[in-house]
Amino acid sequence: MDLTYTAAEEEFRSELRSWLRANIPEEWSRPGFWASLDDDETFRLRREWERDKALAGFAGIQWPTEYGGRGGTPGMKAIYDVEMVLARAPGTVNPLGLTFLAPTVMAIGTDAQKKEIIGPLLRNEVIWCQGFSEPGAGSDLAALSTKGVRDGDDFVVNGQKVWTTNAVHGDKIFTMVRTEPDSAKHRGISMLLIDMHQPGVEARPLKQMSGASEFGEVFFTDARVAASDCLGEIGEGWRTAMLLLSFERGASGIAQYTEFRRQYDEIVEVARKLGKDKDPVLRGKLAKVLADLECLRLHAMHVLTQVEQGRDLGFEASMTKLIWSEAFQDLWEVFDDVLGDDATLDELDGIDLRPLHLQAMWSRSVTIWGGSSQVQRNITAERVLGLPR
Amino acid sequence: MFFALTEDQREFDAAVRSYLAERFDLDAVRGVVEDTAGDGNPASLWKAAGEQGWLAVLVPEEHDGLGLGLVEAQVIARALGAGVAPLPWRGTVLAAEAIRLAGSDEQQGAWLPRLAAGAAVGAFTLRGEAPGTLPAVEHGGIADVVVARSGDGLVLVEGATGTPRGSFDGTVRLADLDADAGTALPGASADVVAQLTARATVLVAADLVGIAREAITRTVAYDREREQFGVPVGSFQAIKHALADLHVNVTMAEHAALYAAHAVDAGLDGADLAVAVAKAKASDVALDATAAMIQYHGGIGYTWEHVTHFFYKRAKRLAGQFGGAEAQRERIAELTIG
Repeated sequence: MDLTYTAAEEEFRSELRSWLRANIPEEWSRPGFWASLDDDETFRLRREWERDKALAGFAGIQWPTEYGGRGGTPGMKAIYDVEMVLARAPGTVNPLGLTFLAPTVMAIGTDAQKKEIIGPLLRNEVIWCQGFSEPGAGSDLAALSTKGVRDGDDFVVNGQKVWTTNAVHGDKIFTMVRTEPDSAKHRGISMLLIDMHQPGVEARPLKQMSGASEFGEVFFTDARVAASDCLGEIGEGWRTAMLLLSFERGASGIAQYTEFRRQYDEIVEVARKLGKDKDPVLRGKLAKVLADLECLRLHAMHVLTQVEQGRDLGFEASMTKLIWSEAFQDLWEVFDDVLGDDATLDELDGIDLRPLHLQAMWSRSVTIWGGSSQVQRNITAERVLGLPR
Repeated sequence: MFFALTEDQREFDAAVRSYLAERFDLDAVRGVVEDTAGDGNPASLWKAAGEQGWLAVLVPEEHDGLGLGLVEAQVIARALGAGVAPLPWRGTVLAAEAIRLAGSDEQQGAWLPRLAAGAAVGAFTLRGEAPGTLPAVEHGGIADVVVARSGDGLVLVEGATGTPRGSFDGTVRLADLDADAGTALPGASADVVAQLTARATVLVAADLVGIAREAITRTVAYDREREQFGVPVGSFQAIKHALADLHVNVTMAEHAALYAAHAVDAGLDGADLAVAVAKAKASDVALDATAAMIQYHGGIGYTWEHVTHFFYKRAKRLAGQFGGAEAQRERIAELTIG
């Protein structure tokens, strides 16, 4: 058992910490600062800050240096994620590109794609969206019906995608398109890399129950994309998508723990201010969540160990998704118990509850996107436990 | 970062498990359960425990032990739980731990080699006080030496008379012990008692985790084969989702027991929290998993002939020891809320 990081990893931590300390503007932590900006301005600030961070060498931590990455270890990536949370640094504005697209391009992209996609992505010159879900294809992704028809060297694309993160700020979208009509469900799909700045592509914001609009809808009306702008083979999009989704594994559980633990402390603080911290029922509920959060941290250490040992976690990733999303949701359900009669108020005893309510609302979404909890349970039962389909 | 068992630790685990599978399987367990007049300590298994180092795991090498840590001990505890093994292992190991942590040189010399070799049976209890009655001590009736509280300290009690106490868990024998004043362990202090409590709690948690994992594994195996409505019942989503959740929860409890063992051994900050988390998770999941084992076996799971009740009853016995899930959660609340 060795729960420490190497000297080189700790060295990286202190470099990163210094950079973050020097480069996060003080006003960003002022209460109400972000709320005072509109969505576009917020996005622009974060986009530029993240670019500067990349230029300073704190991006693509685990990526090979030939792709502009830092060539770091899995431990450095874990440290990076934790330090970003501790510093309250803004999260990435290019999550789909960084987490999914770039590693897939590194694995199976052409030389031209590697050159054209990875560097600009790292510097936020191109914000990438993911075009997977459709109104008629959610958990059943292979039911997608967006069509691409070959026209010379191009595909002409028609259809609609939904729940698209950053839809209105996106520059390009990696899109699952059925390029062979009437093909069997998982066949004849291609992953096309479509430019969103063209007349045939329209992005609309989608207002969520929280009031925010992180998601959107993307409509394709005779949109054009060169057939060469296909990631993986034409017609093999399902295989490309499965590879792409596999990079979600090793998600930063230790950083999630750090963030959720801070939220736990915030909820406890509210309970204390309201004089409810001695309520035995509430204490029991909080402690139950805390135990789950601790287990999330331990599971993250387990995952990191397996990654460092070069093992493929395979379908265990479903368990990781289940535990973090459900622990996060449980945490915010306890918040309702803390507030009791005043569960929906914006303000209580001088405490601005709105940012907390936003987290609580957001917690409803995390057990849906990225594979719903029910899908994850099916995968765990069938692929890990070996129960019959 | 290495949060996992080492090769050596995995081999130790495999050795205990393969011994139980080949030499003391659930038919043998049934023999002990049904032999209500027996002493609950089958000679062959006890001999193996002594010969194979299961009892010597925490005893220092200078006293003929293996000098290993609580991580290795929880490996054994987990394997014994999975095998619902009737064996005064934990009491013996914890009695030795008390003597190692607080005993005089003479006490250590006299007891540690014997406890490590299985030449003496030990018991450990924090209930009751010597002199006086020590209630429902595990394997108390056959213990050569019992570590018990006396005021703020701990004492060694030898030759206590035991009155058997019936228990629906047949993988143990319990006895009320009529303890004399015993001999003080001179190094005992509140801190040592806390240390021992932490170690005992981790080992009980590990036994529970072993029970829970085995309960799920056996249930999955059964539900893959058992057919109703023309298909395996394990193909029904109602069962799949329940078993998936249990698998996740057992895995978390496994992490928690492993981490708690390491945290106590290494004296990490947060060891107290780690122990409480481990026991809370283990108690909950062992009760859930063994109840599910009965439910998802259907009617056969409720019969005496089936093995489900060995797991269920052992989980019931251990879930509340050294504080059940609720008590552990109050401890967690103290540590994180104040």
